[in-house]
Parts: sequence; structure tokens; C-alpha cells
Amino acid sequence: MATQKYKTETLKCWNKAKEIRMNFYKKYVDAHDNGGLRWAGGAWSFGAIPAGLGNDIFPITGEPYGASIAFNKEFSLRCLEATERKGYARDLCSYMRSYWGSIILDEFLFGGKFPKPDFMWQDHICCSHAKWYQVANELEGGGIPTYSIDVAVGPYQDVTDNKIDYIVNQMHDGITWLEKITGRRYNDELLIEAVNQECRATSLWAEICALNKGIPAALDEKSMYSLYVLGTLEKHSKVVADFYAELLDEMKYRVENQIAATPNERCRLMSDTQPPWGFLNVFRYLEQFGAVSVGSLYTFGLIGVWEDKPDGSWGPRETPQQKGIEIKTRDQALRILTDWNLSKPEWQHFYSPHIKSDMMIRIAKEWHLDGIMLHYNRGCEGLSLGIAENRLALIEAGYPVMTFEGNMGDEREFDEAKTMSRIDSFMETLGMKNIV
Amino acid sequence: MYKVGIDVGAKNIKIVVMKDGEVIAKDQCLAGFETKENTLSLYQKILESANISESDVSKITATGSGKKAAYFAQNSITEVTAAAKGATSLYPSAHSIIDVGAEEGKSIRCDGNGKIVDFALNEKCAAGAGAFIESMGRALELPIEQFGELSMQSDKEIPMNAQCAVFAESEVVSLMHAKTEKKDIAKAVNDAVASRITSMTRKVGFEKDIVLIGGMAKNTGFVQALKKGLETDIILAKDPEYISAIGAAIYND
Amino acid sequence: MITQFRDWEQNRHTYAKAWKEKTGGKVMGYFCTYVPEEILYAANILPVRILGSHEPHDVTEAHIFGMFCPFCRDCLAQGLKGKYNYLDGVMISQSCLHIRQAYTSWIKHVPIDFSYYLPMPNNIQSTHAVKYLAGELAQFKVAVEKWIGKELTDEDIKHGIEIMNENRGLMQQLYSYKKNENPLISGEETMEVAISEQMVDKREHTPVLKELIDKIAGGAGSKNNGTRLMVLGSEDDDIAFIRMVESVGATVVTDDHCVGTRYFWNNVENNDDYLEAIARRYCERPACPSKDWIERSRIPHILSLAKDFDVKGAIVIQQKFCDPHELDIPAIIKALNAIDVKTLFLEFDVTVPLGQFKIRVEAFLEMLQEDDLF
Repeated sequence: MATQKYKTETLKCWNKAKEIRMNFYKKYVDAHDNGGLRWAGGAWSFGAIPAGLGNDIFPITGEPYGASIAFNKEFSLRCLEATERKGYARDLCSYMRSYWGSIILDEFLFGGKFPKPDFMWQDHICCSHAKWYQVANELEGGGIPTYSIDVAVGPYQDVTDNKIDYIVNQMHDGITWLEKITGRRYNDELLIEAVNQECRATSLWAEICALNKGIPAALDEKSMYSLYVLGTLEKHSKVVADFYAELLDEMKYRVENQIAATPNERCRLMSDTQPPWGFLNVFRYLEQFGAVSVGSLYTFGLIGVWEDKPDGSWGPRETPQQKGIEIKTRDQALRILTDWNLSKPEWQHFYSPHIKSDMMIRIAKEWHLDGIMLHYNRGCEGLSLGIAENRLALIEAGYPVMTFEGNMGDEREFDEAKTMSRIDSFMETLGMKNIV
Repeated sequence: MYKVGIDVGAKNIKIVVMKDGEVIAKDQCLAGFETKENTLSLYQKILESANISESDVSKITATGSGKKAAYFAQNSITEVTAAAKGATSLYPSAHSIIDVGAEEGKSIRCDGNGKIVDFALNEKCAAGAGAFIESMGRALELPIEQFGELSMQSDKEIPMNAQCAVFAESEVVSLMHAKTEKKDIAKAVNDAVASRITSMTRKVGFEKDIVLIGGMAKNTGFVQALKKGLETDIILAKDPEYISAIGAAIYND
Repeated sequence: MITQFRDWEQNRHTYAKAWKEKTGGKVMGYFCTYVPEEILYAANILPVRILGSHEPHDVTEAHIFGMFCPFCRDCLAQGLKGKYNYLDGVMISQSCLHIRQAYTSWIKHVPIDFSYYLPMPNNIQSTHAVKYLAGELAQFKVAVEKWIGKELTDEDIKHGIEIMNENRGLMQQLYSYKKNENPLISGEETMEVAISEQMVDKREHTPVLKELIDKIAGGAGSKNNGTRLMVLGSEDDDIAFIRMVESVGATVVTDDHCVGTRYFWNNVENNDDYLEAIARRYCERPACPSKDWIERSRIPHILSLAKDFDVKGAIVIQQKFCDPHELDIPAIIKALNAIDVKTLFLEFDVTVPLGQFKIRVEAFLEMLQEDDLF
């Protein structure tokens, strides 16, 4: 098979992404220095709401913090073991166990003691999410005000006013609660600004991912991880939305100039669920076969918000601003925020693996894939939910599927040699030879 | 010219020498700690006993989880491809290949032309493989050769949990404490392993003909349980432990 | 004393098929005890809880990843194997992610006439949960009406509530006799009654239950004088396990299980708005851990059970990989130990190694008896 060589270039905005990420943690740690507040919660939580308390409110989101811990194998193991010593089961969410371990050890990954939050603001997407912070509060010795919003109202296609009302009512109560526990007066202008920025950032991310439909892929999934993460940190912030706007321009440039992520792209794949973070070399290994993972429902749809476009393709959801909607009231902002988040692709599979399978098959078609690698992720019951049904549906749709077991944040559950050998077999079945 | 296939498995090394599609010589030995040395000496031993000089060997292909130990091979292929290649070359009607060795069970589905459509391997636990039977054999003080035969004498259905080897072992201990007959325990163990393999095979999907390869094909009790689990007949490969080595030898022919 | 209940439990499929034949009614399989059976009874539909078989199976590997609990896989296996081929509908009321998969795979791979996913709120501590659930119940009622081709009147719903309330009330009464010294009904027997009430027409179950209570009230039955234990944790309908525990000198006097007290602990209170009354009952019943946040309401409830039933020890059981219970168990064990109730933790799978568990239970009982000596 002839190998086509493409040009490659490193991303110009790469360092800026790293800077924003580190600055996020720094701002959280330093919040108290200038009278600001810290809050802890999940990457899925409605962060735009606490933003209404002022411009000096800084979050730390649990899942990306857990993923960061997984990169540091020594610290990761200490965290996991500390949690196990407290009697918590080894098969619970590994982000959560890492996060708890960091509290128990009272060590922050980026140095110093674990910076205690002033309040916890979470939403409940899986069995663990609200309980994550219930336990986190207990491990902190109790007394940290904690609020969690239930979003489990079913898939977006079945949404009704009753369902939206339930979430919006919890949000209204949440704002009253925030005022009470912080003693601050809530600023609706700041909320509206944050909601607008969140819609902008998450739509932009979808637009960036949609550009990866092109051949060669301008971004590989390994790089995407370092970029989408900003949305998991602070999807409602202007800094993140502005960064995605800049990245979008660079993507357009790369697509126009046929600049590839992998110089020898000849086999396009997607993955699913969070990768085993300590072993991203899996993706580098694929490159030896000229294979590139161009994304996944996870990287596209955890932060990206999508919709059907008039031409039948999948593309970024049009934001309220783009539609000319001006948000004027708190209630309107909360309703838009709810509707926007409920339409997020990664939210649908909690209710039906079949909806997820349809989205995956759609990606496989529109992104021109040759095969799929499913990470059966023991670290996350939420995103591994229904994955076996996804496998069946993808095979039925005619796509070769490889599965490998692992864990996003507990390296004790990942067998590197076995996974690489399984990739070898998968590549052989796809007719791909090692070209390095 | 001769072609050689070397299959370095978790427990044994199997080597075949082939000429014009026929097996001229074959042998096996324990992989042991010094796997590299053992692989080379087995290779040399086979050539010597078959009276073949190294220069008459045109190609050596290695496979198996320890294939790197066959450092003198020119090529290597994965054990999935080797198993499929070997089985479909000997049994062209094969659409499903089940390979159960010492520490790994795999299930492979092929189209009618030997091309792999899908495959699955057991994950970290060896409850679905031969090593588990061996350790249960030790617990029952039952030589492995007799394990299958004895289990065939039982008609009891004792449910066992085969999700985890350790958990299953504790169940065997419970059964021993409860004075369950040895043959019934042996059957329960074979049923449990077969259930694990059936489960994996159902995941991949199967179609006739089904060919069973790997050392476990010699355990009659396991084979019976597997047939029952899949509710269909299974072709037992001749010299089942050598099929992957054969697949390696003829790869790219 | 419990022959009829045991017969129902052991021949559940035969019973349901016969019920269908006899009444010509529809049978609904349900996956979680948050399903509002009141509405099903109102529609003259027989609700049957789908449970596992405690037999190893090899049919779910393709459908549910092995990191999810054995119970959800065992339930799905029953569907894939055609054991519930008499069902006209299946439904789930939202609780944990694990059992949800049994439902989603079932509706795809087992032919069925009607299916329904009821998005029961998880934030039952929110003041908005009841109103939201009432709205969802209204939507569910419409779906049922469409299915059976008949409108459900307030009178029908009221009737459904009465059927459920009466049975639940009697179960509460039965359990109250377990507070007595040397109760006249064992844990194994209670479990037979509790399992059967989840699959038998309550209108048949209730009179037999009344008879049982009358007998116990009249002093019939043999005394159970073992060490008083409670069992709590994940779904547990493992009769063989309870039998073993009681065979070595324990009496299981109460539980916090969804096959057990959580199912019948509270009734629907009178209210003109029937759907809201039902919604309130399900939001206020003893919580499943997947809904027990941000406050831990389960702990005071479990502690009061332990005190009211005067238990000496608790067996905390957990279905392997059951995340919601894994998130509660350390806190519950701590709270029980703090009031001097010792605990034994056991992990359940489709089958449990009775021999191994027996040694642990015996050792646990010896430990509790030593406490009594000193």
C-alpha cells in the first residue's frame, strides 16, 4: 500500500492551552489572597451559576483534577491507596478515588496542601456524582456547604416543560442558597454573561471537531485531550471561549493547507470513553501503522454541543447569540442553560445506549472511519454504560471494532503489553502493517 | 525449502517445520524462565532430529504472547491472526475459531475466506483458561490428564461463579468442605470455564463450522461442556496445540 | 406457615402465566421498586418484579460490560433466555445506572409490546421533586391509558393506592412481630413473603398475609432464638444465604433492602391529588443510596431499625461492583459501630460461596456472643 505523506506542524496555540490550564489551578489556589472564593464541583456542573457571585469566584473541577493525578503515577497510587485505606471500594470511579486521596493525604498535585473549597457545587449525572462531594465533605471534616442539582430527566429528545422546570427550579433554589452561604448579592448580569460564554465555547468546540471530518485529520485525539480539557475546567469563561475561537482559526488554516496530525494517515479510527491517562502512548503506537484516532463521541460531545445541520450533517449548535436571542432575565438564562446542557451528546447515553450508538455510527460515517477502538473503562461506570451495546451496534453497521479493558485513572487495571498486542491484532485484521 | 512456525505461549513453546503445506516435524517444551534459550534449543533440536540444516529454512515466523523470545525469527504475527490462519487452512469451512490455551482464551469469527471479522480475548483473569483447570486439579489432587475424563462421569449441575479465578477457587474449596464428590467438582470447574468461553464466543458471535484449538481441546469434559453451552457441535482440531504455530509457518504464503 | 408464599416465589413464572390466562390482563415486568405499582393496579395490570435466578449464565457478556453488578446481568439473562416470555410490557423507574442497562438491553433484544422509562428524580431531598415526579406520573398514566385503550379515573387510581397500601400496611405489621423476643417468624420466611409480594397480585397476596399475621398473633410458629441480626445493602433475594445464616445460630429480624423494608415501609397518604400523593410516597420512602444525597437520610433510618429491632449485629451485603452502596457502606458501618452494632461485610455475586461465607458468619456470631459474656 502506498503511503501518502502529509505536512505536519505543531499547533501554534498549544502553549497557550497549557498556560490557561495551569492558570486555572493557580487562580483557584490563590483565590483567598484577594478575598475571592473557591468552589469545587464536577466538570459537568452548571459553573455559569456561581459565576454570578462575582468575578473572583474560582472553581476546581473534579474529573480533570483526577485525570491530572493519573498522569503522575507515583502520586496517583498514593491517592488511590489512601482512599482504599478509608474503606472505599477499589472499583469506584477512579477520578473520585484520586480526588478523595488528595484530600485524605492533604496534598495538592501542583504543590502544597489540598486547597479546601468554600463550597461545593455539583450536578448529579451518574450514581456517583452528587455522592462524590457528599463523601468529599465528610473527608474534609464536614461543614462545607454542598449543593447538587439533579439533571436525570431523560434524553433530550423527550424533554418537556415539566423536566426543564424541575432543573430550573433547583437552580433558582441554588442561587438563593449561594447568596445565603456566601453572604453575597447575586449578579444576574454576570450569570447572563457566563451563559452566553458557555454556549459560545461549547459550540465553538463542536465546530473545531467538525473540521476533523477532513482528510487528513488536522487534529489527532491525543492532542484534542489537551484542548477540550479547558472546557472541562471552565466552560463558561470568556478565556476558554476566546481560546476556542483562536483554535478554530488555526484549524481552518490547517484544513485549507492539508496539514495533518499524523504524516502517514491511512487509517482513521475513533475511541470511546476517557483513555487510560497514564498510557497515552497507545495513540502514538497507532501512528506506527499510519492509524490516527480522529476523536470520539467523548472528545466531541463532552464539551461540544451539536445539532443537525440543514444539509443533514452533524455540526455545532447555533448559539442563542447567533440566533439573535438576547438573554434578559435570570429565569431565561437558567432555562437556556438547562436546555443547552441537556442537548449535549454525552448526556444522552445515560438513558439509552441506542441513542449513543446512533451518534457513534453517525461519527463513523461523517468522519470517514475505518475502525473503532472501544475503551472498556473500569474507572467510569457513567461513560462505560451501555458500551457493550454500542459495540454490537457498530459491528452491525459494518465497522470493525476492537475493545480493550483499562481504567482512566487507576493504572493497576491497565495491561499495557496486552493492549499493544491487541492493537497489533486489530491492525492485522484491518490490513495495516507497521510502517516505521 | 522449509518454513518454520514458532508459537511461544504462556506455558509452552510449540514449533512446526513445514514443507509444501505439510507438517514435516513438530515438537514442544515448557517455556520456563529462560524462554529465549529454550526456544532456540527446541528449534535446533527439531531441525537436528528431522535432519534439516538451518540454511534450508527459508522463513521463520513467530507468534504467541512470548513471541519476542524467538528473536531469530524474521517475521512475527499476532496470536489472533496465527490461530485464524492455522485453523482455516486446515479446516476451510471454519467460520469460528475458539482457542483456549494455558492463560488465554480467544474467540475469533472469520468470513468464509479466512479473513477475521471480529475477535475477543479474555481479560485479565485466567478463569477461562487452562491454568485455572491446572490449579483446580492441584487443589483436588487430580492429575490434569484425568481431569476431563473424571468430570465426564458426573451428571450433576453445580453452579459456580466463573467471573474470577480466585472467587471460583474459593467455591471449589467450599465444595470440598461440603464433601462434594471429586468428579462433580471437576465437572463444575469444566462447566465454569466453558461458560466463560461460551460467554466470550457469544459476544463475538459464532457460525458453523466451529473449530476448537489450543491445549484445552484435549480436555474431554471441557469440550462436552462447551458443546452444551453453545448448543452446537464443534470440530476438534488434530494436534490442537500446534495450530497457531502452523498458522505462523504458512502466513503470507 | 409460609408454604403458599414459598410456592409463589419458587413458581413465579407459572403463577404469572396462570394469572394472565385467568384474568386476561396484561403483565408488566419492572426493574426497580421505585415503579409506581399503584398506577398499574389502577389499570388492572399485574406488576411483576424482574429478578435474577442465582444461576450462572453465559448470555449477557455481549450486552453488559463485566464491571457492572451481577444482579443487573442476572436479570437481563432471564429476559434473553426467554424466562419472562409472558410479559406484555417492561418498565423501569430511574435509580442506579447498573439496572438501567438490564432495561435498555432488554427492550432492544427481547420482543415486547410496551416499554417505559420513568425518569424518577434522584434529588428526592429537593422540594421540587414531588411536583416533578407527579408530572412524570401524569405522563406515564397517559401512556398506560393509550396502551390499554381505557382512561384511568380518579376512582381507579384510588383503588390502586388502596391495594398497595393495604399490602404494605400488613407487611409493616408482620415486621412489627419481629421486634418481639424470639420472634415466631424467621428471616428466611420473611424473605419468602417479601419476594412473593413483588410478583403476586396483591389482592391474592393480602388475604394469605392476613392469615399469616393472625397465626403469629395467636402464637403459632416456632420460636427463633438465634442472635438477632439485621441485613442491609444491595438488592438481596438470596434465600439460600439467609437460610445458611440462620442455620448457624442467627435470627434475621430486620433488613434495609429493596426486597424487604424499603419496599413497603411507608404508605401513600390521603390527598385529593392522587398522583401527587403517590409521588410523595416514592420520594419519601426509605431511600436507595443512588438517591440519598446531599444529606445521608439512610443512616438515621438504619440506626433506628437497629434499635427498634434490638439487633446485636448487622450483615452488610453488597452486590459486587454496586457503586451506590459502595458509596454508603463505609459511612453506615461507622455509624453502626458507633452504637455498638458490629458488622460483617460480604460481597455478593450471582452465586455466593456458601461454605466460605458460613465460616465468616459463624466467626461473626462467636464474636457477638463473646460480647455478651463480657
